[in-house]
Amino acid sequence: MLDLSRVQKELVECNKDSDISGVTLTLHAGAADLTHLAGTITGPLGTPYEGGTFHIDIQLPSGYPFEPPKMQFITKVWHPNISSQNGAICLDILKDQWSPALTLKTALLSLQALLSAPEPGDPQDAVVAQQYLRDQPTFVVTARYWTETFAKRASVGIEEKVQKLVEMGFPEGMVRSTLELVNGDENMALEKLCSS
Amino acid sequence: MPDSTEAAEEPRSDQNPNPSASGFLGAVTAEEGNEWSSFRDDEIMKQHSEIQAVEAVKIPFVGDKEPITALAAEFQYGSPILQEKIKLIAEQYLALRRTRGDGNCFFRSFMFSYLEHILETQDKAEVERIIAHIEMCKKTLKSQGFTDFTFEDFFSTFLEQLESVSQGQDASISHDELLERSRDQSISDYVVMFFRFVTTGEIRSRSEFFEPFILGLTNSSNTVDQFCKTSVEPMGEESDHVHITALSDALGVAIRVVYLDRSSCEAGPVTINHHDFIPSAPSKMSTERDDSTMASTNIITETATVSNPSEQEDGTTATAATTEDSRPPFVTLLYRPGHYDILYPK
Repeated sequence: MLDLSRVQKELVECNKDSDISGVTLTLHAGAADLTHLAGTITGPLGTPYEGGTFHIDIQLPSGYPFEPPKMQFITKVWHPNISSQNGAICLDILKDQWSPALTLKTALLSLQALLSAPEPGDPQDAVVAQQYLRDQPTFVVTARYWTETFAKRASVGIEEKVQKLVEMGFPEGMVRSTLELVNGDENMALEKLCSS
Repeated sequence: MPDSTEAAEEPRSDQNPNPSASGFLGAVTAEEGNEWSSFRDDEIMKQHSEIQAVEAVKIPFVGDKEPITALAAEFQYGSPILQEKIKLIAEQYLALRRTRGDGNCFFRSFMFSYLEHILETQDKAEVERIIAHIEMCKKTLKSQGFTDFTFEDFFSTFLEQLESVSQGQDASISHDELLERSRDQSISDYVVMFFRFVTTGEIRSRSEFFEPFILGLTNSSNTVDQFCKTSVEPMGEESDHVHITALSDALGVAIRVVYLDRSSCEAGPVTINHHDFIPSAPSKMSTERDDSTMASTNIITETATVSNPSEQEDGTTATAATTEDSRPPFVTLLYRPGHYDILYPK
């Protein structure tokens, strides 16, 4: 069963030095318990991700901390080890190299490090990895464009999207929570609303 | 670092990386017919745990005590050399207790063997001694930057077990209760993780000592830090002589390992090798470690066991020539390539 007291300690510890670390950890909006968390990491300086804030969906399995947390990028990101389709992450510590000695904070910091140092030889997204290996300049431009487009989205304009989706016939509460879940990406929200 | 077992997404037909809405949704549709993309990480991990569950039915974390003849029965159609060796083992050992082969078998065997010894002997001096060592291990981990909450629960779980078995003959938990707890995942795994923390702390604090042995292992690019992160700290990572040396040193508990493998097969009569891991640090309290020479002596004899087993003694004398304690180690493990079980001497 999930070690709740540990998760509580992790929440406190992770946010102690968020200014310096560039990572935050909060309860997921609308989450009923501590099994669903939300993290953010800032894009490392000197990378195409600089200036962006990347949202991570974090689900804790019942075996946590013996089982790794399930992490997935909500913010769309162009990176060889992160799926440009669904945000799935290819990182060993989130799989068989997980250890209870690690924390959600160290995992988020590892994601930040992954943004700085892609591993194209072991890709999650083969298209991105190929581009990274064969055409770095285009890779950098694309990654930076994605950062500008998806990771710097200000919260203004959210009301317009809510209105638009409500007009399509979805209930407002559901629209708001869905938009929040996908970090304001209108298309992703629509997709989720249609499939639910 | 990304791992290599994960299947990368296949190249998509529409190679348009521009994040336009239509391109994005279109790509998702194109992806649907792709077998690999539906094979997700959590499904792979679920499959792993299902395999583990099947294994779990076969043998609990810690099995029942079996007569040593059970070992002979297992090898009755096996190599004649191993059958000979089992006969030699049967001359010195009475019984065997198997542990589950889940990569944690060394730590699990050590856990049960140690706690069982305390339960049977009620050796108060030993309990006090190990508690002092455990306190040191805690300080070591803190000084290495481990966050308290990552290890303190595991430490207290072990200390609770230690307390339960050392309450005196009548007040302590029963032998059955100890076995039950060792099979209870919420206790057993916590204790295994406690040992993993102790081991990693010891290796990290004496990294210059352990480094050559770690470099000698399979992966030459291993640094001490990488080794600890990938081979000590995760659950299910198997132990070898580096782990055993570190755990024995950190807790100050001697461990005898009896090798049932094909070593010393070629020349002369069949012998059974064992190696005693004798803790090298009697004065862990001092920060200045003056025992480095002794530690190296231990490791040298141990390496000989691994690389050149035919030169080992036949079991009548202990490998490490320590003068202070002539009693054989009370934790005795049977090693077969890739696995450790508990042995009971006659």
